Amino acid sequence: MRSPFDGVLQALTRMRGVRASLIVDETDGIVVDSNLQIGQDGDRVAALAASLYRKARLSAVAARLGSATFMQLEAERGRICAAGRNDLVLVVVADPAANVGLIRVEMMKAAGALP
Amino acid sequence: MSITTVEPWVEPPLKQFVEDARTVLALLLHPSGQVIAQFGFARAVDVMSACALAAAIHASSGELGRQLEGRPFRGLHHAGRDRQLFLAEAQTQRGSFIVLTVFDQESSLGLVRMYFDEFARRLAAAAPPLVRRTEPVLEQHFERDLNKNLATLFGRA
Repeated sequence: MRSPFDGVLQALTRMRGVRASLIVDETDGIVVDSNLQIGQDGDRVAALAASLYRKARLSAVAARLGSATFMQLEAERGRICAAGRNDLVLVVVADPAANVGLIRVEMMKAAGALP
Repeated sequence: MSITTVEPWVEPPLKQFVEDARTVLALLLHPSGQVIAQFGFARAVDVMSACALAAAIHASSGELGRQLEGRPFRGLHHAGRDRQLFLAEAQTQRGSFIVLTVFDQESSLGLVRMYFDEFARRLAAAAPPLVRRTEPVLEQHFERDLNKNLATLFGRA
């Protein structure tokens, strides 16, 4: 069954270096829809990324920086990017060598189209 | 952090779980309603009530799952205004255990579910082999055992 997020997620996962893209409920950390390469644990990424994004968003507000628009976590073996809108978070897991600038542009466009 | 247990082998996995999942309350019990370990409860009477309710909810939701899907549900989640609860079963070589977890906005259902899966694996690995009981498990012993466990948990043993 196709979901309204199929197109967005497929476009993101087709980008070079992207291993997974997910739409996650920010409050519950539960996957709404996902497009994963083999070997990616969607539930785990969703829970952790939503928690991180939520804390980052609340921190930005508490620090009077306004609302968070984009979050990136760089780690030794990959990176997690997140952009949110209306309690949904768009999450991308990418290789360390992936072009984050391009991913960010696509994610901001996609996040803007979330309901 | 104050975790009290009736059986010491459950403490390390439970401690890890409440730390990782940032739970407010946690309760490990037998499906019969006998408490094995608790975190966050202040009064024995609250543990007793929570155990009885958790066991009853687990039994009824399990049966509902069997009727609907031919097998018990994997977990049960209820979201309140400020707090949420997650109830699920962990299997070990010493039998099944029910875990009742209460969490607030510091955690999320996704995190609790994820860390619960890890907890269930750790609990199964930590469980010592079942030693056959020397006395039969009788209905008339239920209350005696329950009181003994509560006394152990709340330092009255």
